[in-house]
Amino acid sequence: MKFLPFIWRNLLRNKLRALLTAGAIALAIALVCLLRTMPDGLNLMLEYFTSNTRISVHAEAGLVYPMPYAYLGKVRSVPGVEAASTWTWFGGVFRQEDGVSFPSFATEPETVGTVFEDWEVPKEDLEAFRRTRNGALVGEMTLEKYGWKRGDLVTLEGEVIPLALEFRIVGVIPNIPHFMLQREYIDQAFRSLDPQGLSWTGMIWARVDDAARVEPAMAEIDALFQNSEVETASETEKSYMKNFFGMLEGLVVVILVVTALVALCIVFIAANTASMSVRERFQELAILKAIGFNRRLLFGTLIAESTVLALLGGILGAALALGLTSVAREATEGLDNTLRPLASFVVTQAILVQGVFLALVVGMLSGVVPSLGATRRSVAETLREVF
Amino acid sequence: MALPLRYSVGNLAVRRTRTLLTVGVIALVVLATTLFAGLVSSLRRTTATAGSERNLIVMRKGATNDGSSALSLEAFQAIQFFEGIARDAQGEPLISPELVVQPFFYTSDGGRENVLVRGVEKVALAVHDRVEIVEGRMFERSRNEALVGRGVAGRYVGAALGEDLEFGHGTWKVVGVFEAEGTSMESEVWIDVNELARDTRRSNSYSGFRLRVAPGADMDALARRIGDDPRFALEASPEKEYYAKQAESADPFYVLVIGLALLAGVGATFGATNTLYASVQARTAEIGTLRALGFSRTSILSAFLVESLAISALGLLVGGLLAIGLAGGISSALGGIAFGAQTFSTNVVELRIGIFDLLLAAILCLMIGLAGGFFPALRAARMRPVEALRKA
Repeated sequence: MKFLPFIWRNLLRNKLRALLTAGAIALAIALVCLLRTMPDGLNLMLEYFTSNTRISVHAEAGLVYPMPYAYLGKVRSVPGVEAASTWTWFGGVFRQEDGVSFPSFATEPETVGTVFEDWEVPKEDLEAFRRTRNGALVGEMTLEKYGWKRGDLVTLEGEVIPLALEFRIVGVIPNIPHFMLQREYIDQAFRSLDPQGLSWTGMIWARVDDAARVEPAMAEIDALFQNSEVETASETEKSYMKNFFGMLEGLVVVILVVTALVALCIVFIAANTASMSVRERFQELAILKAIGFNRRLLFGTLIAESTVLALLGGILGAALALGLTSVAREATEGLDNTLRPLASFVVTQAILVQGVFLALVVGMLSGVVPSLGATRRSVAETLREVF
Repeated sequence: MALPLRYSVGNLAVRRTRTLLTVGVIALVVLATTLFAGLVSSLRRTTATAGSERNLIVMRKGATNDGSSALSLEAFQAIQFFEGIARDAQGEPLISPELVVQPFFYTSDGGRENVLVRGVEKVALAVHDRVEIVEGRMFERSRNEALVGRGVAGRYVGAALGEDLEFGHGTWKVVGVFEAEGTSMESEVWIDVNELARDTRRSNSYSGFRLRVAPGADMDALARRIGDDPRFALEASPEKEYYAKQAESADPFYVLVIGLALLAGVGATFGATNTLYASVQARTAEIGTLRALGFSRTSILSAFLVESLAISALGLLVGGLLAIGLAGGISSALGGIAFGAQTFSTNVVELRIGIFDLLLAAILCLMIGLAGGFFPALRAARMRPVEALRKA
């Protein structure tokens, strides 16, 4: 520890160089942290925001293949299914120029609270949604985007169901963009176009009361509709989301490659600086050795020097990453919904720790080669060069 | 008098490790930037450039993509006789009624993706003039045959020529592979429109029509006439515009890439500055001598700037070449990079580094070279010959 001042002084000997190196490392670490949030956002969503006891029932052929609405009643009667509700894509457009800028679905207000317990919609909001025929539960993200609040009346034009309807916002769903409407309201309105009303649905979500009963329930549901007009495929919500975002895999590979490249960049920057500052100190190191400091000690101080510098850069970079998240989020505001999870930019503690740790390791490694070379040089030879 | 170019470039070879490390830093920054930029522009290229100059797309009023639109047979029968629609040699109007569905397709590693299946009639090949069958032949009606895009053929189970492709409720034999000049249509499967309607139980219904405007006819007037027809709520817009709009969803990624490039670029500039400062410092005596010999401040300044630019040019060269190789490698290893699109279907994109991406990297390198070299060069130029020589 008594060598700390010595190391610090050496570091500050060339202030500009130390500053530039720390700055370069900081920028690179900030980039690594930000890039890491991209695949992490995807994983985070799959890990925490999806449930293993909620199952998705949809047509086996694809999500755009409709199922008869009557399937809902049958799914509800399957043992283990606590509650189930349908989601029918409305495709609501608020402003023509934005197109479909948030997902909107028609659902049954009685069961949505049970099936999507984890949404944590306030009880009185659910109650209001049940009572209000043209009521809507609106996701916080969409609410903020358009500056809406509870009680507002908004008119959406359905893209898939071609109706312009007025909805009253009666409740808020935290953290998501979904706009949920009463199926019955849409159904009644749709009868003006088709006397049969909404006879189909795109998807049924079912909540199973016990994790152990999920598999049997799914098997039973699919067996129910086997050889019928539309065969179904059931899967847990986790698997559904994984499949949905599975196509982003290639994109994630590219992001990871780029992250690795930037990390490698840090090694080069740190190594360059270490090599420069050691080279300039050859004579000095020789003198220190000549007056009795051992090789190991000198090697240690040199490594410590590059480590301290990289560590400072790393800490600065982690802080920078935190500061840049809101900028990054703003910049990707209009991103396509299917790419959305990649742009959460949530810099978690784990990412910060890993970033700083990366800097630490790089600092240590980058010092090894030049320091080893310098401390191994023969004293006599070096001093002869000088004097 | 200017210092010879050989002086600046020769100096790079003297301190080899240092030069290599700095070139490495810049090359890595170039590599990261071009890969990311290439990704975004590859996506843009496939969507934004799709469509034909003289084509109109007709959808239901309010629909933003043909996957969510629905039109009736009556609408088709009415507008096919509109004036201004091009006709083929037999006098048949070049209007293609189409149905679009996105069933599940499976990749060889078990992934499930929504692929755009377009139900068409034979006339589609004449309307979509950029589509060209490169292997096999066009499908025959009512024989459960399919034509697949280049991107689809390589990515999904059963989608290669001659194989049986299962989707929806049926099985189709792949009889042909088509290309569409690298545009997003190559991520589609084409089958007979009636077969698709039967499979999805959407008889007498279409998603939209694509039509070719007759040579010399007024495109806007035809679009207005279709839109104003009181019998059907239709909307016609130029195909080019439609695809350009689809591509917009990737624009925020551009902002992100440029932000990333700038951040990495500033980092690399710091690295280059360090190297050059060290270089100036080590050559104090040499610079003093040069000044004493009569070389002006300007020529010293430019000699160091040239040195710095040479480093960044090397970085650009190495990074650019690596990026082109790596992009090809990643793309072929993954069978293309898949993107989700607003149309709810998968767009398979070949990752390719284009001129524009390299240009972006070149601008970045120029900035790194100039900014990284300027201050060290200034220090060198400002050295007083007497003091510099005394230090030696």
